[in-house]
Parts: sequence; C-alpha cells; structure tokens
Amino acid sequence: MTLSPNEAVDALHDIAAVEAHSQRLYGYRKASPQLILWGVLWMIGYGLTAAWPSRSNPIWIAVDATGLAASFLISARRTRNADAGGSRPRVYWRFPAIMLIAFVFVAATIVIMAPVSGRQVGAFIPLVVAASYAVMGLWLGLRFTIAGAALAALTLGGFFLLPAHFALWMAAVGGGVLILGGLWLRRV
Amino acid sequence: MAGYGCGGYEMEQPDAIIHQPVRLKIMAALKGLPRGERLEFVRLRAILNATEGNLGAHIGTLETAGYIKVEKDFNGKKPRTRISLTEAGNRAYADYVAFLRAILDGEGSRAATGGLP
Repeated sequence: MTLSPNEAVDALHDIAAVEAHSQRLYGYRKASPQLILWGVLWMIGYGLTAAWPSRSNPIWIAVDATGLAASFLISARRTRNADAGGSRPRVYWRFPAIMLIAFVFVAATIVIMAPVSGRQVGAFIPLVVAASYAVMGLWLGLRFTIAGAALAALTLGGFFLLPAHFALWMAAVGGGVLILGGLWLRRV
Repeated sequence: MAGYGCGGYEMEQPDAIIHQPVRLKIMAALKGLPRGERLEFVRLRAILNATEGNLGAHIGTLETAGYIKVEKDFNGKKPRTRISLTEAGNRAYADYVAFLRAILDGEGSRAATGGLP
C-alpha cells in the first residue's frame, strides 16, 4: 500500500481539521448549560432588582449562591456521565472555580472602585463576563467571542440609552443573550 | 521496514481499517475529545457531513475491529447512540498518524539527498 507525500499531507490536514472541529464543538457543548443557567439567573436577578431596587444586595447574594451551586452540580453531573464511559475521574470543579474567582475579582474591584450607583455595578459585571467570553473565544472558538461581543454591546447600549430601565433591559436582553448563546453552542 | 515505492514512501503497511478516509475522520473526531468521552452519532454525522447509512457501516467496521465502542441507550424517550475511542483504537490512530508523518520525513530525507533514496 503506497501513499504519496502529497496524499499524506492531505490526510494529516484533514484529520487535524476534524480533530479541531470536534474539540471546538465539545467545548461549546460543555459550556452551553452554564450559559443557559446564568441567563435564567440573570433574568431572575435583574428582574427582581428592577422590581425592588433597594433589595438588590440580598437578591444578588441569593442569585449568585444559587448559580455557583447549580453550576457545580451541572459540572459534576456531566463528569459523572463521562466517567461512566470508562475514562479516569476528571476535575469537575474548574468551571465553577473560574466563576468563583471572577466573583471575588468583581467584589474586590467594586470595593476598591466604589461605584456610585447600582446601575454601574449592574453593567460592570456583565462587561467582565463579556470580556471573559471574548477572550475564551480566542482559544475555544469564535462563538464564545461573538456571544461576548453581543453581550458587551447590548450592556453598553442599555447603560447609555436606557438608564431608567437598565435592570429590566438586562433581565430581558442580558439574560436573553446568555440563553440564546447557550442554545447556539449546543448546535453542531 | 522502509523503502520507496512508485512515487511514494512505503513502510510497514498502514492499518487498512483506518486507511479508509471516512473511518480515518471518525477516528480523528473521537480523538479530538478528552479520553473516554463519548460522541453522539448525530453530532458525529454532522461533523463529518456523512449520510447515516454510510457512517453506520463504517462505525460497524471500526467497532468490529475493536477500535471504537458503541453504546445505545435512551435519553429520556429518545434513542441515543454514543461512540468512544477504545485504547486499541487510540493506539491504532496514533500509529497511523505516525505512519503519515514518516512518509513526510522520508520525503524530507529524500530531498536532502538530492532525490535519491
């Protein structure tokens, strides 16, 4: 059985492309439930904040705690399912750990920068999330970058153009972008 | 055992099962996942842009060879087929990629010696 160097190059090129495509789709599929989860939580959190602005702190403490716990459970479940396929046990705390680090970073930044309004905090956190997705996309696939860019643009748009209804805007559009982004990541 | 054939580099025979293009791509798609992770048939079909019948036949060949593991179950009420690479498949794929690279290395050596074997 003979193969020319050109055929070997073509075969190596083809399999590298298929491997990369498969890896990218795997990363999308793994991140998808997390985006949907946080999209729903943002809808609830921003929606409640719009209704009871003075209670935003306890609302977001409850929303973030729920989100971290649910995120951890989703990761653990996915890992358990994968391990049932015979692989060695893998870490399932990485995604929740990333969010915990981001949470501490955001909290520390807010303490230092002392924003003067809840709207500033409400815009800052989505912008950090958007930047994180945009950066992740440089390694993991364009869809993350597009989702991050859309979230950043819509957050800034709501912040400057709809200041009076910013929380409602973020509930509908911020949460909506994450949910739609999550559904998009599930597609092949 | 290496040598030159007609217009190509010939070494030990490549694995005839993986040598088929669709089967090679199936192996590549599974290799792209973390070890032990399974890929659903419908996703594999979309990645390879293959027809169901064609893909099913090649999966059967790879499964018979012990290179992949096929698991069928239900996700809720929907039947689901998931495929993963076995250890034997992992080794076979690595050997085949090494075989392809060796062809290129051989070509490089030939160029360095003025095209003579």
